[in-house]
This record gives sequence, C-alpha cells and structure tokens, in this order.
Amino acid sequence: MTTIEKPRPAAVPEPTGRLAGLAPHARTLRVLGGVLTVVGTYLPWATFVLNDGPYPEQSTLEFFTVPYGVTGFRLHLLLFGIAAIVLALAAVPAKGRMIRALGVGVIAISVVNGLYIVGEGGGLGAITVADGVAFGAIVALIGGVLLVVGANAGGIEPQPVWNWRLNPWVERALLVVVVVVLLLLVAAVLTSGGQGGSGYAGGVFLSFLAAVGAAIAALSASGLLAWVTALTERHRLYSVALLLAAALLLPLTSAGTEYWMTVAATIGVYAATAIGLNIVVGLAGLLDLGYVAFLGIGAFVAANLSGAAASTIGITLPFPLVMVIAAIIAGIFGAIVGSPTLRVRGDYLAIVTLAFGEIFVRSAQNNIGGLTGGSNAIPNIPPVSLFGTDFNEGVEIGALELPPGFLYYVLIVLIISAVMVVFANLKFSRLGRAWIAIREDEDAARAMGIRTGPIKILAFLIGAMLAGLAGAFYAHKLGTVSYESFRFLESVTLLAAVILGGMGTIPGAVLGASVLFVLPEKLREFSEYRLLLFGIALVLIMRFRPQGIVPDAHRRAELAPETDPAIVAAEEKVAAEAKGEKS
Amino acid sequence: MTDAILNATGVTMRFGGLTALNDVSFSLTEGEVIGLIGPNGAGKTTLFNCLTGLYSPTAGEVALRGKQLPEDPAKVTELGVARTFQNIRLFPSMTAEENVLVGRHCRMKQSPFSSLLHGPGFRRSEAEALTRSAELLEFVGLTRFSDELARNLPYGDQRRLEIARALATDPSVLLLDEPTAGMNAQETEATRRLILSIRELGVSVVVIEHDTKFIFTLCDRVLVLVQGELLVEGTPDEVRGDPRVVEAYLGAPPEEVEAQIHAGEQTP
Repeated sequence: MTTIEKPRPAAVPEPTGRLAGLAPHARTLRVLGGVLTVVGTYLPWATFVLNDGPYPEQSTLEFFTVPYGVTGFRLHLLLFGIAAIVLALAAVPAKGRMIRALGVGVIAISVVNGLYIVGEGGGLGAITVADGVAFGAIVALIGGVLLVVGANAGGIEPQPVWNWRLNPWVERALLVVVVVVLLLLVAAVLTSGGQGGSGYAGGVFLSFLAAVGAAIAALSASGLLAWVTALTERHRLYSVALLLAAALLLPLTSAGTEYWMTVAATIGVYAATAIGLNIVVGLAGLLDLGYVAFLGIGAFVAANLSGAAASTIGITLPFPLVMVIAAIIAGIFGAIVGSPTLRVRGDYLAIVTLAFGEIFVRSAQNNIGGLTGGSNAIPNIPPVSLFGTDFNEGVEIGALELPPGFLYYVLIVLIISAVMVVFANLKFSRLGRAWIAIREDEDAARAMGIRTGPIKILAFLIGAMLAGLAGAFYAHKLGTVSYESFRFLESVTLLAAVILGGMGTIPGAVLGASVLFVLPEKLREFSEYRLLLFGIALVLIMRFRPQGIVPDAHRRAELAPETDPAIVAAEEKVAAEAKGEKS
Repeated sequence: MTDAILNATGVTMRFGGLTALNDVSFSLTEGEVIGLIGPNGAGKTTLFNCLTGLYSPTAGEVALRGKQLPEDPAKVTELGVARTFQNIRLFPSMTAEENVLVGRHCRMKQSPFSSLLHGPGFRRSEAEALTRSAELLEFVGLTRFSDELARNLPYGDQRRLEIARALATDPSVLLLDEPTAGMNAQETEATRRLILSIRELGVSVVVIEHDTKFIFTLCDRVLVLVQGELLVEGTPDEVRGDPRVVEAYLGAPPEEVEAQIHAGEQTP
C-alpha cells in the first residue's frame, strides 16, 4: 500500500548579484564550511578553566575540562558539520536550502557561546590566544559563514513537496514517534540551562534553542516537516488526541518538577490569553493595545470570589463557577471596549484600547471600589481545591509521584484545549470568515452583507472572555493578584507573542507566548537589557520572517518569498493562462 | 419586463460645494440589463454608491420594489442589491471559495453559538453554503481556482470572482462597476456572455463601462451620465445616434469649435 511519488522537479534558480561569481565553487565552499565546523568543534573554546567549574551532563557548555568530550553544544556543531558535508556531496533535493539553515544554526551557536565566554571570561583573549590557544568559536563561526555563502552561491532551491502515502497504521505509528520526539524536545528546551540566572545558564539555553531551531529549519527546508503536517491533517482527530496526551505527559519528563510545572502553567496562562487576543488581532484585524486588562479583570473577579481575606466581597464560590463569572464579566468589558469600533478604525481604535488599558491599571492601582487591593494587591488567594485535594500539592498515583503544581498544569492544559477549540471552531465558521473579511477589506465586507458593527464587537467580547477565563486560573495559581501584572508592557508582550508566532494560528500564539515568557526566565542575567534584546529580536524576526514562526496558510502565501512552492505553482499556473490566452 | 424593481427618483449627491449627482431618476425593470456610460468623473460610481447605501443621497430616494433602501450597505445587500467594485476589492488572502462563502454570509442561518459548537445545524448550513459556492464558481468558470488565494488569480478571473461573490448574496439587482476594465477582447466577450447568463437567472443588472461597443451589444437600455446629470436615456441605437452623446464623449465637431473661437475673437 505504499505509493511513492517523486517530488516535483525543482529548478535551481540562477544565483544573481555578488555571489554569482562564486557559483562554480559552491560545493567546495559548502564542504569547507562543514569541515571547519567539525574542526571548530574539536578545538578548545576557552583559554581558561571556568570559575563556575564543570557543568552537569546536560550542560551544552563543556569547556576545557573535557577537551575532546563531545557533548552539549559541541555535539550539535559536530552533527551540523557532518550533516552539511554529507548534504553538500549527496544528491538531495533542496540541499542548498537545508545547508543554509544549518549554516545559520552554526553561526548562532558559535556566536552565542563565543560571546558568553568573552563576556564571562573577560575579553577577546578568552577565545583567542591569551594563556593558551582557543580558536574554537572563531573557526566554527567561519565554518558557518562559509556554509551560508556556499548555500547561497549554489542557489536556494524551492522547498520540495513529498506526496508519500503509507499504510494508515504506519502513518499513525509514525505520528506517535513524532509526538514523543516533540514532547522530549519541549522538555529539553524548557529545562536546558537550568533555572537560569547564573553563569552560563542563559548561554546554554540560547545555544540549545539555536540548535533546535536550526534543526527544525533544516527539516522544514527538506520538505519533511510539510509532509508530517500533511500527515496530521489526514489523521486530524488522532493527532489532536496525541498532542493532548503528550501535553499531559510532560510532568513525567525531565520537566516534571515543581519549578518547571509552575513555569509551564504561567506560560499556559499567557498562551491562552494570546489565543484570545489572536481572535481580535489575528482574525478580525483590530489592533488592541490594552488587552491584558481583560486578564486582569478575570483575575480580580476570581480573587474577590475566592474567599481571600483581602477581598471585599465575602462570598466563596467553587472554582468552575468563578471561571464562568470571570469570563462573563471580562466579556462585558470587552464589548464596552469594542463598541468604539463602530466609529473609529485602525490607529484611532488602537489608541482607544491603549487608553482603556491605562484606565484599568490606574483604577486597580487606586483600589477602585475596594476591589483590587491597590498597592497591597489581593494576597493569600486559596488554591483551587477539588474533591478535597488542593491543587498546589503533589499527587501520588500508585508508585507514580507527581510534583506539586502538577494539577495546576493539567488544569491549564485543559483550559488551553478548550480555548483552542473555541478559536478553531470560530475561525472555520460564518463568523470567522466574516472576521477575516473585515480584516481584509471592511468596506467590501459591508457590501457583501456583513453587519460589521456587531461582528467586531463580538470579536472583542469573545477574546475578552477567553482572557477572563485565563485570569481566573492565574489568580488561584499565583495566590496574589496585583495591578502591576497587567501593565501596558504586558499587553505589548502579548501582542508581540501573537505577531511573532504567526497571526491567526493556534500553534503560533502558543509558541509566541512560550518564547516571550520563557526568555526572561532564562536570561535573568540580562534583566536590565531585557527590553533592548527583546526589541532587537523582534526586529530581526520581522525582517527575516514577517509571516511569524508558524504562519497561517494564507498569510504564508502572502508574505513568503517567491520561492514558496505554493506561490511558484500559482504563478506558473497564471503564466500558463496568460500564454494560452495570448496565443 | 414590466415591473420596475429598482427606482431612483431625483437622486442628488453633493460633497461640499461639488454636485456629483444632480436630480438623477431612472428605473430598472425585472430581468433588464442597463448600461451606464459617461466620461470620467460623470458620477457613475457615485450613483452606484447611492444605490448600495454606501452614500445616502443629499436629496431624492432609491427604492427597491417600492421600499426605500436603508443607509447601511449590509442591509441593502440583505434586501437584494449586490455590487462589484471598479478597483477590484476581493479579500486577497482568502481563497476563491472563501470569498464566495463570505458572500453567502447574509443568507446563512448560523448563530454565533452554532459557530462555536459545530453542531448538526452548523454542518447543514455550511454544506449548503459550500454547495452554492461550488455552483457559483462553476457558473463563472473558476472551479479550478477554488482553493487558490484571490490575490494569485489572473486579473480577469479576479473580476469574475468578484461577480461570483456578489451573486452569492442571492441578489435581485446586480451592479457591476467596469467589469471589463483592463480585459482583452476575448475576456470582454466572455464577460458579456456571463452577464447575459446572469440575466437568464432573473437578475437585473446595471453595468458601468467605458467600452461602448460592449455596452451597446449587451444592454437593453443605456443611460448616459454627464457631469452628474442624466443626459440621454434610451435603447442602444437611440443613444448611439444622439449628437449630445457624441459631443459629451468627443467634444463638439471642429468646425463648431472654430466658429466659437472666431465668435470670441470678434466680440471685443
């Protein structure tokens, strides 16, 4: 039952511009780059023994202490180098594209590690020739640059399209493997570099992130990722169930400690909120700069109904009910904020939402109606409790010991799943199409019989409800709700998460939220420069991948370079049409 | 061919001191194709905007089957007046099929709750809409492009898709704003046939076009709009022979112009 179709023969585009002269040497450059990368791997990387001493086995920064021990980042570089050499010599479709991805990864890894050694070890001497010789970082960097130059000189082919069809059961088994790898990868990324804040932890994390990113980019360039995506579409329900199971199994991996469970739950809150914002911004195209206020409203509503000593309303309601009430109240505020959309558009609407966010923060700061605790916040919110189990305690199921925070993690996974269902169902419905139509061309949408006013308000209302839902969870998980958590900066970060991840998609919002809320955790030594680095990263991503990390199928076609196979195919079709009509 | 379906009486539109339309009245009968011609800036598109609720006329009124049209374009479309735009206004990042589905919006019975829950009612209405969209795409000959993004379609096909999208709203009156602009002779002919087959469906059509040959071979009646005023109204033959139309398009004959110039020289 196995049919294999050859990928569409992809013509290698003629390289143009400055690299055209290098075209005959492309293969040499690629091989040389790979060799230098491997050489760089084995060269020493620092001229001194690090003060911090050797790192644990997971560390990706094993320096001088193990000169030829290939672990961590050295392992990644070695693998990338060998892969580049093999690709350069073998007849593989889209090898230029893959080598370019690997090259960028090699550059990123050597730059991150080199800079960390320079920064921590005091000056360039640390990676060159002060007390010894340590050119590892520089040689690997040159290797990476040669790989990228070689790849570009030889031409970047369009991404191949694979149409393999396997036995459905083999496909399902393959999906299990993919999901397990994904789970382990997520756990590894989350825990790499430890809890951050000391020595090389940030570098370990960034280096690992670069390696994973480059590996994924290379896989994507090979067209395999697109094939796996097609697989998940053929077995949609099955894949969704697998992913949900994998998410629930995260506590059994190396990330299964109280600390990581808390980090994961916090990411979850922002991911759920980002999906809600994605309805407003990604689907309906309405810029909301005060969106975090809805998370705050949900959190304060939950805090006041939790029976915390500081809450003025003296009633205690069960958590599921609190979630519903928080969502409804946030939704009402959403509709109120959305109502100006009937009159103002674009930039003006953004300013209205910005003002709303500010009004919320100021009101909360001044303890409006005694509901927000002002600068004292509302502390000591009791944990969620179900069937006599407090959610902040560890759980033992038979021999299985699960860390404290596990139950909160499960709860947020379920909440996110619900939020995803809401988003996906709405996106592929009459309402979702109306939102997208409004985003594309509001006047044309009205001319097509869409009553844009109520539909836009509905976007705000539903988006705010989802944030309110997340807010109720947030209040109980953190135990304290303070106005300080809902400032303008948080709104901007959420917006950045949506745009960074890819507008209008679920994985994009989740990934964007994860990246933006994990990075500050991991890079605490840079806390002073956090916003600066954050800004630079955003500019770079918008420059090189304007469609976001996981773009919407439609947006991808809109913003991708013309080498995207879908676009190339469409253009060929159009060109053929034009020819046919002329003749 | 007797009942007037759309009636415009004394439609006047002023923007500040500029009178874009001055006391324009006409009526459209069921199953009729009317051509609207006139030089640039004559107010043709302004008239369309008044007919679709995008503008509310300064004076006069527009009525569909005797009922005055509301000021909201969405409600006008619900009542059965659909349009296309002079500069194509598709939803560029949606597929051809999705564009037509958006046109079905106001005819679909699907509440936000059923959108959320995807129940049996939702699936029924969605299936109906998909069937209708497929029919319409076939009708305009774009079935092969149904999964293609609107922006990637060839120019002429984008115009056709806009017509399909407008037809998806089940209109009784269809307003086409320069449907053949930028098309070659074959495409224009295809569009002419398409409009005739739309008339077969019982839809009345008003077409704005500069291509007079296209208009005269297509329309039952032609209106000539010059500087916001309805200059001539009649069958293609009547309009074609009318010296005022020739003058509006080509200017006065040279000898008359010369005569005027001479007259001007002699006066002082």
